[in-house]
Parts: sequence; structure tokens; C-alpha cells
Amino acid sequence: MQLARRISQLLFLLFFLVLFFLAAYPYETGINVDLFLRSSPLIAIATFLATREIVASLLIGLTLLVISIFLGRYFCGWICPLGTSVDLFDRILGKLKRKDNAAVRRFRAWKFSILIIVLIAALFSLQFVWFFDPIVIMTRTMTTTIYPVTVFFIEGVLNLLLGIGIFQDSVFSVYDFLRRTILPIAPIFFQLSLIFGLIFLGLLLLNVFARRFWCRYLCPLGALFGFLSSFRLTRGIVVSDDFCIDCGKCQRSCKMDAINDDFRSYNPIECIECMTCIAVCPTDAISYQLKYRFGRERTDISKRRFLFSTAGGLLTLGLVKTAFPNKVSMGHVVRPPGSLPEADFLDRCVRCQQCVKICSSTGACLQPAWLESGWEGIWTPLVNARYGYCEYNCNLCGKVCPTGAIHDIELEQKKQLTMGTAYFDRSRCIPWYRNEDCLVCEEHCPLPDKAIKFDVREVRAQDGTQRVVKFPYVVESLCIGCGICVNKCPVEGNGGIFLTNAREQRWEEGVLLSKNNESSARIKF
Amino acid sequence: MSFINRRDFIKLTGLSTVAFSGFVNMPQLIGKVTDEAMPLDLAVVQNSDPASLIRKAVEMLGGMSRFVKKGNTVLVKPNIGWDRAPEQAANTNPEVVAEVIRLCRKAGAAKVMVFDNPCNEARRCYRRSQIEEAAKAAGADVSFMYQQKYQKTKIPQAKMLTSWEIYRDALQADVMINVPIAKHHSLSRVTLGMKNLMGVIGGNRGALHNHFDVKIVDLNTLIKPQLTIIDAVRILLRNGPQGGNLNDVKTINTVIAGVDPVATDAFGATLFDLVPEKLGFLREAHARGLGEIDLSRLKIEHVNLAG
Repeated sequence: MQLARRISQLLFLLFFLVLFFLAAYPYETGINVDLFLRSSPLIAIATFLATREIVASLLIGLTLLVISIFLGRYFCGWICPLGTSVDLFDRILGKLKRKDNAAVRRFRAWKFSILIIVLIAALFSLQFVWFFDPIVIMTRTMTTTIYPVTVFFIEGVLNLLLGIGIFQDSVFSVYDFLRRTILPIAPIFFQLSLIFGLIFLGLLLLNVFARRFWCRYLCPLGALFGFLSSFRLTRGIVVSDDFCIDCGKCQRSCKMDAINDDFRSYNPIECIECMTCIAVCPTDAISYQLKYRFGRERTDISKRRFLFSTAGGLLTLGLVKTAFPNKVSMGHVVRPPGSLPEADFLDRCVRCQQCVKICSSTGACLQPAWLESGWEGIWTPLVNARYGYCEYNCNLCGKVCPTGAIHDIELEQKKQLTMGTAYFDRSRCIPWYRNEDCLVCEEHCPLPDKAIKFDVREVRAQDGTQRVVKFPYVVESLCIGCGICVNKCPVEGNGGIFLTNAREQRWEEGVLLSKNNESSARIKF
Repeated sequence: MSFINRRDFIKLTGLSTVAFSGFVNMPQLIGKVTDEAMPLDLAVVQNSDPASLIRKAVEMLGGMSRFVKKGNTVLVKPNIGWDRAPEQAANTNPEVVAEVIRLCRKAGAAKVMVFDNPCNEARRCYRRSQIEEAAKAAGADVSFMYQQKYQKTKIPQAKMLTSWEIYRDALQADVMINVPIAKHHSLSRVTLGMKNLMGVIGGNRGALHNHFDVKIVDLNTLIKPQLTIIDAVRILLRNGPQGGNLNDVKTINTVIAGVDPVATDAFGATLFDLVPEKLGFLREAHARGLGEIDLSRLKIEHVNLAG
């Protein structure tokens, strides 16, 4: 059984990676790469609470949750890619002298506190389940950290081989093969990748204190599965009193510290059905049974803790909602095409960075936000047009969004959709400040009727000569804010043209709304 | 005794040049002493499928074996700049590219490379242009360009672009065949072969737009395609260089081939009712001795394959 569990873990991790790599242009396999994200019941419940809507695509998560009435926290032990990563990291760490489990056992309730805080905040329309959901953490870290770092080292090795100078042709053919499979064509960089990497590393390093520390004490998804399995209707781990010799090996080997001190019973809220105890028991006293049983296990959450957590959730809500919004940077926040109106967008966006991942394989305009869109919009996707631009013929971000924060709009409609508007900075634009020709922006404008047009005028150049120069300007009514002009502007730093979200259109129930200026600092009751 | 005046000097020089070139071409001259013997500058072929147009044009210039020798590494450089379909006339026609590749292969090329440094994302352009698929089927090596292969290269005859990142494979190819598409372009009025060479360079390419006429000629002093074939099967008349509106596309089923890259561009400009002498980059190129822009001084042969 333990072997089966390990194989399952590795296969699901592999599946996760395959889906990760499939989240790339041209995205034509028909496989939904957001499958893992949609199977997190925590994302489902938090989204349902925040939106007051049952989002059909997330129901798969609830189904998985219901199963845990029979199979406990099977998801944590057999499926969760973060759990598998934690286990793998544990193997790397090897055997460590750790504190006695009993000393850290009291932290068990933390995960429930986190769960309550997250859900209470979601109920009043502050979505931040994304900080803790393990599937989101995995997707986000893979996208922004693990993948770019891996690419960096693979390309480093290839560059090293190319530097040697011999076998260049074969190295390039390997390179070419890799670029057609896993490597990006253009180098990828993410704002905040360092932060995401450190968070992930910290999460793994918690293993130093206790194995699967994250899963035992912090993971709200684990808490959710644990809550359901506290009502479990099957027996699960059964210890035969006749055979048990009280050696305690099962308890010591348990990753989750789920075996009670009597060595005869276990805590179904903690057990992740990993079957290690069965494998290590010297007398084969332990078995796994799916026979009916009902005995409600008390969760480690006191009334007091519940109240404090609720208060914590409300406090977070209040603090974030009233935090100072930077109006200047918010005017530059351009959302992916098809995003819902800002407040609804923030209710739904789980910051998984899946849209950022698929975008990085083509136009590469999306980046996780820092504080550009306010505290509530932290880590949401926004367009960084100096780094990338929205490909005119692309609508992939909406196709991979697990919660529908970005609507999957038809390509023809996307081409009409206004994400924002570009404006010239005449103090930086070459024709305007230097009276010399350029027109790179106009060349790249993808609209059949170009949104950048120009006047031809004879002027005196900086060197005193008279010349005819083409002066570009934006036709506001035509601009869709794709940002390619900003991206390709040859002026370094702040270009001669910049992007704002003026005139932006959001998606709402089949219609494109023009700028929805409703403050996100609202509260739902 | 009399000094020869300027007029006589020019006459004399001209005559002796003609005489000398006649001497050089003596073997061919025997039997038919007509102006047909003069090598053709431009082959303009019209009204057939793209492959036939290409075959005829190359044949008129003396066949592909004139340019490609057995075992050569050849770069066929189309315009794959945009994420646009062939009928939008923003990229070189895929059948044109494929036929040029096939001719190179037939002439004995060991390797035919196809690449471009596009403006939109590379895979999108390679794909939607249908060039990747067609070129591979015709036997070319189609690759996305590598950052590692751009070499900072000195351009000795440059006025402004004294050095730039230029793609190694383009510098090292034995033969380069430039296969641009004829399109409208707001800055240079029209983009043809000379501007198409921007696809083999890296760096902040937008910077070439500033003093474009001088810089594009600078680039052309270093990179010299042995053959330029302008794809004018479909031409883009407005909203270039990427278009997007099919009303801006005109199908004229034409191909222009020539050895002189300036002359081919000069003729290409006339497709847009432009006068070559009025285009800055052509004037600059001519002034710096890169080629001819006076069409009346060129031997141009028109063939209409429709009969």
C-alpha cells in the first residue's frame, strides 16, 4: 500500500508538471490545465463565499471534498503536489533530530484558525485564500520561481557547452529540441519571483521542526479535509490489540503525528492515509479497513479560538480594505483582457499565476502585482508593457483561469476589447522632443485601422537643419491598450509612450462594460 | 594637340567599358550580337501560381546554379515578422519561400536555413505565416533565432550604425537569398528587400528607425544578399507593415528577382506608384554605390505567364 501511495504521489506530481508545461502557447490539446486548481475545495468554497455564486467549474473540488467522509485526508497523502514536494524535501533532509512531537502538537489548531480567517474574510469579500492554498502555492511557485530557475540553469549548461566551441551543431540541435518542448523561446523573468521562492523555501524548511509541518499545522486545505474526515464513516487505520506490542514505532514514523499515545487509536483529522504505520509495524498489528464506523472526532478548535480567528479574519478584512490605494499606480493597472469588473475580479482571482504562466509563453505582458493595484490586489496579474505586450491574436489567459476572474472570451471579441489606452510622453518620444523620425510604435500597432497615426510637418531639428518629420499621436477611440507600442518603443527606461487603464472594458455577463470605477473597498453583507 | 573634354572622356570611358565587357562576354556574344546578351538586371514575372513565378524568375536570371553551388550553406531570408496569415500579406508568401528552398536544394545546397527575428512572438509568426510548415516540407532548417548567435559586428562602411548585433548564421552563410514581401510602411513608405535585412539583426532594433535611411543602408553595406526575390503575389497597400484589413491587400501575382538589391527595391517601389528617386533609403543606397535606382538604366524583362 505504501508503494501504491508513493506511486500515486509521483504520478500526480508528474501530472501536475505535465499540465504546467501544457499551459503554454498554442494550447490546443483540449486538456484543461487548471484541473488541479479546480480540484481544490478550498478555492471552491472561498470563491463561492466571496462571489455568492456557485461557480460550476469549481464543483469538482467539492466532489473531492465529499469523498473524504470515506477516505479522510487521502488528498493530502496521495494527491497533493505540495505534500509530495514536502515529502521529497524530507528525503533530501534525511533523518534529523527533531523536537518531540508532543511539544509541537498544540500547533495543530493553527490550520483551523487559518481556515476560519480565510473563509470569514472571503465571506465579506476579501479573497486571500491564495496565500495558503497548497495547489495555488505550487502553481505560483512553479511559474515564477522553479521554472525560470530551471530554465536558467539548463541554458547555463547549454551556454557552457557552446562556449567550448566544439559540437556546436549538436548542442544547438539539443537546444532547439528543448525550445520546442520545455524551454521558452525568449528568456522569462518575473517580478516577485524572489519573494515567491523564499516563501516556498521557508515552507519546505519548516520540515526541520517537524515532518510535514505545513500539512500538520498550517494548511487550510488540509484543515478542510480534516474537518470532513472528523465525521468519517469508515474505520481507516485499525490497530489489533492482540498483536500490538506497544513499541510506538507507528507513532514515531507517522509523518503527521496522527497516532495517539495509546498506540491503539489515531486522529482522523490528522491522518493522511499514507499507510506508513502499516508498513513499519513489526507485528503487523495495523490494518486499513473501510468498514462503517461513526464516531465524531473533536476538532482541536475551541470556542475561544474560533472567536479569535473570526476576529482575525475581520481585522484583516478591515485593514486591507482601508489600506491606502495608490491612485497613480492604480491608473496604470491594466488587467488581462476579459477580466471581470475590478471588485468581482478581486473576489475571484486566486493569484495562481496560471495566466501569467501561459502569457509568458507568448506575449509575456502579465506579471504578478506588488502594490500597484493596492493591498487587496497584491499578486494579481497585470500588464507590464515595458516587459511584454498583449498579443493581438491571443486570448489564452482567460482559457486557463480556474475561477473565471478572467473570462474566456472569443478571440474576435478580444481583438475589439479595450484593455487600456496608450498616451505619448512628448518629453520622451523621439519625434516630439528631438524632431527626428521614429514611428516604431505606429509600425507595431496591430489594429487594421492603426490607433497610432501621424502628422507630417516640416520642423527645425536640434542640429538646426529644417526637415520633414512624422509626429505620431494616439487615436483614443481606436486604441485597445495592448501595449505593443510601449513595449517596442526604442527609448530606454520610461518610453516615449505609456499605458494606462483609461477607457478599459471589463467583462460582465456577456457584455463589455466600459470602465467600472466601483471601489474595491466595499464590503458585502 | 587637343585636350579631351569631359564629354569625350565620358564617351571614351563608356565605350571602352562596353568594349571590355563585350570582350569578357565574348563566348556568349558569338552568334547573337544583340542587347539580349547583356545580363538581365531584373526579372519580373506575373500571373501564375507562386511556385511557377519563382521558377521562371530564377531561370531568367540564369538558374539557381548561378548562385548556389553544390555543398553551399544557403540562407533563405523571408519576412516572418508578424502573427498574420498569408492572405493578410504581412509575411512572405509560404509557397514562394518553399519554391526558393526547393530550387536551392536542386542546385545542390547542403543546407538551407530559414529564420527571422520577428516583431510578434516567434512561434506565432512562424506558425500563422505558414512559412515554418512550408519551408520544412521543402527541406529547409527552420529555427528560432538564438540570443547566443548575435555577434557584435563592426560595419566598416557605416555612417551611423558602426557596429551592431548581427546573426552569426547570416554572416557565415555561403549564399544569402533575400525573399521579402512588398508592403506599405509608414516610415520608409515601402518595405522591400533592404529593410527585410533587419530580420538578421538583434539588439534594440527600434533604434534603427531614427535616421532610418542612413542606418538601413549602413546595414546593407555589410549584409549583401546574392539574390533578392521580392514576393508581390499579394502586396499590402496600406496600414503596413502588418496590415490586418483584407481591403488593404492587392493580389498582383508578381515576383521580382534581381542581383542588385537596390535595383529590385527600386522596381518594387513602383508597385506602390512610388518614384524610387524620392525614397530616402533608395537615394542613400544609390549615392553610396550599393546599386542602381534609375530603372531606365536597368535591363528589365517582363514575362506574363498567363500568356
